[in-house]
Amino acid sequence: MFVTDIRKDFYEVVANQRVALLVAADIDALCACKILQALFHCDHIQYTLVPVIGWQDLSTAFLEHKEQFRYFVLINCGANVDLLEMLQPDDDSIFFICDTHRPVDVVNVYNDTQIKLLIKQDDDLGVPSYDDIFRDDEEEDDGSGNDSDEGSEPSGKRRRFDEGAIERRIERQRARREWEARRREILFDYEQFEFHGTSAAMMFFELAWVLTKDTKDMLWWAIIGLTDQQIHDKITHMKYVTDVATMQRHVSRHNHRNEDEENSLSIDCMRISFEYDLRLSLYQHWSLYESICNSCYTSSSFKLWTLNGQKKLREFLADMGLPLKQVKQKYTSMDMSIKENLRDVIEESSNKFGMKEIRIQTFGVHFGFQNRFLASDMVHATAALLESTEKEESDIAHNFIKALDSLSRGNLDRLHVGIDHAKRKLLAIQQTVASCICTNLILSQGPFLYCYLMEGTPDVKLFSKPLALTLLCKYLLKAFVHSTRNKRCKLLPLIMAAPKDVEKGTVIVAGIPPESETSDKKNFFGRAFEKAAESTSSRTLHDHFDTSIIELKTEDRSKFLDALITLLS
Amino acid sequence: MDPSEVEFLAEKELVKIIPNFSLDKIFLIGGDLGPFNPGLSVDVPLWLALNLKQRQKCRILPPDWMDVEKLEEMRALERKEDAFTPVPSLYYMEITKLLLNHASDNIPKADEIRTLVKDIWDTRIAKLRLSADSFINQQEAHAQLDNLTLMEINTTREFLLDSLNFMFKLRSNLQPGSSKGQLTDY
Repeated sequence: MFVTDIRKDFYEVVANQRVALLVAADIDALCACKILQALFHCDHIQYTLVPVIGWQDLSTAFLEHKEQFRYFVLINCGANVDLLEMLQPDDDSIFFICDTHRPVDVVNVYNDTQIKLLIKQDDDLGVPSYDDIFRDDEEEDDGSGNDSDEGSEPSGKRRRFDEGAIERRIERQRARREWEARRREILFDYEQFEFHGTSAAMMFFELAWVLTKDTKDMLWWAIIGLTDQQIHDKITHMKYVTDVATMQRHVSRHNHRNEDEENSLSIDCMRISFEYDLRLSLYQHWSLYESICNSCYTSSSFKLWTLNGQKKLREFLADMGLPLKQVKQKYTSMDMSIKENLRDVIEESSNKFGMKEIRIQTFGVHFGFQNRFLASDMVHATAALLESTEKEESDIAHNFIKALDSLSRGNLDRLHVGIDHAKRKLLAIQQTVASCICTNLILSQGPFLYCYLMEGTPDVKLFSKPLALTLLCKYLLKAFVHSTRNKRCKLLPLIMAAPKDVEKGTVIVAGIPPESETSDKKNFFGRAFEKAAESTSSRTLHDHFDTSIIELKTEDRSKFLDALITLLS
Repeated sequence: MDPSEVEFLAEKELVKIIPNFSLDKIFLIGGDLGPFNPGLSVDVPLWLALNLKQRQKCRILPPDWMDVEKLEEMRALERKEDAFTPVPSLYYMEITKLLLNHASDNIPKADEIRTLVKDIWDTRIAKLRLSADSFINQQEAHAQLDNLTLMEINTTREFLLDSLNFMFKLRSNLQPGSSKGQLTDY
């Protein structure tokens, strides 16, 4: 059931209890976790934090902790499957689920006792009504709404060969079959497309706000959670803009509270500001030139993998009057005169070169004299830390804690390490995109585009992780759409496969919806993958919380693809 | 003595806070505290004030002496005098550091206050060093310094005592007919 009063029905319930936090491995979940941890610290609520990366992890974690904990909080996992069926909990376990995955499983919505959803009841949820899906069995169909009959088929006890009774029975069975067919259709429509809802970090920030315990740190984490959804392409642009407006109200409230007297705040205090900033990743921590070359928007608009594209980039820089030497330096050492009007100058020139949306609404933070970050910088850095493949024993819990730490203001050195990793990741993505397009690795398979990364590709280890792979998919699709001339291919979705585990011989397969201006980001690959795997009995592992990302045995790749093609055409 | 021990002792000082919760009087070994009513100021030890502030349960009011003009006067006075001037509080340095680290949003003009307190501290430490230097040069037997705080004493304590001990050893070895032929370690 949906929780209406989050303070009364969630926070006060867990106030004196020990809670188990099961957190998925994405940035939005990390931010939500940070906010919740801060709230728990304020009120001395004991909790245990368990990072989970998939359904198996979730089940194992639950089994380990079900003896000691009654209350479980699941962040960004668990809403889109029948949780009670999967975990088989005892009757007194209560689950609070704050998940952005939609559609929410109908059992989770209509269970009144054990499952509490910390989700806003938006109008885009579209949950089918109760009567359409559930009904007591053996209900009389004459519409008088009387109690359900206890026995089975009427032909059990009463052996009356009454014409009327037989007719009524046949009528009932027919109505029942109709109802079931309609139910299947409704459920199919409801569960066909997968998409994402409001950020979990924003939900918990609202909880903090209702408790009047919201601080600037929590606001910043909520903003990072929202920006993560935008960078990894999980929500539509409209929704992003709406959510940014909500966050901006909070930002102005916080800023107004502190700057109203002549006694301004210490420079060390955190200041969050609304920025209409450039869509260049990490540009303030890199050189402007590198950032333009490695950001998805600019590199695909210029087509920087071609010689022509490089020329156009040079023209672009010349048009703005920026000397190449300045632009290739670190941003912080660029001339002040250039930095002052940089955004407006870039916007003007990019309009001439066909990039109408080079600027995007976002937020920036600054504290101390030296530390200025944009929300997107933090997202890239933390994502790089979360999925870092640096050490040999890249333990998921280890990386999770490192990424979680990097979100705190006190751990700036970790954040800078993350920024370095993120730069390498963006470079790797750019190079992979360039090589895929130049060597025509993207094949049109009919209903979708397909690309397979061979094992020897440089940096292919980076792409064995889901977040990095989805980012690569998004960039690749954008670049492909800009580079191809085939009108039909521009509207196709993309499936990408990359080697995941060389010893076990598996690949990770991810599918993303087609690229379009008004895309509603609804992904049907989850169901498609399931059906294709079933029909070919390929050995797949649908472990990830996003159903559009699966693991597959390398040998089964071709038959899986064939099944998909037949399924989707 | 470790500086963290001195800071620990400093945390017993009382500061004024404005809580946002209510609680009856609490009886601790060190004394009674409270009762706490939202919006009414109450005196609590610094350790409790910081803990409550971190849990967002109170707002800390800066002590009276933590004001830009007063500190500027004190700094001017300190620079003028040769001896040590009376301090605003026996633990001024620790209180400033703790409050500015954890509650700088409750303290107006926090940056200037940090600079002023640091200036006062630097002047006093310079005077202390001069005084220790002249003490050793003139081989005095005793000295009296007023208005020193524990933290300042603590900065020179180890060095001064060790060097005086060592000089004593050297001196006693220079005297003829001394029984101590070799330097002994403590």
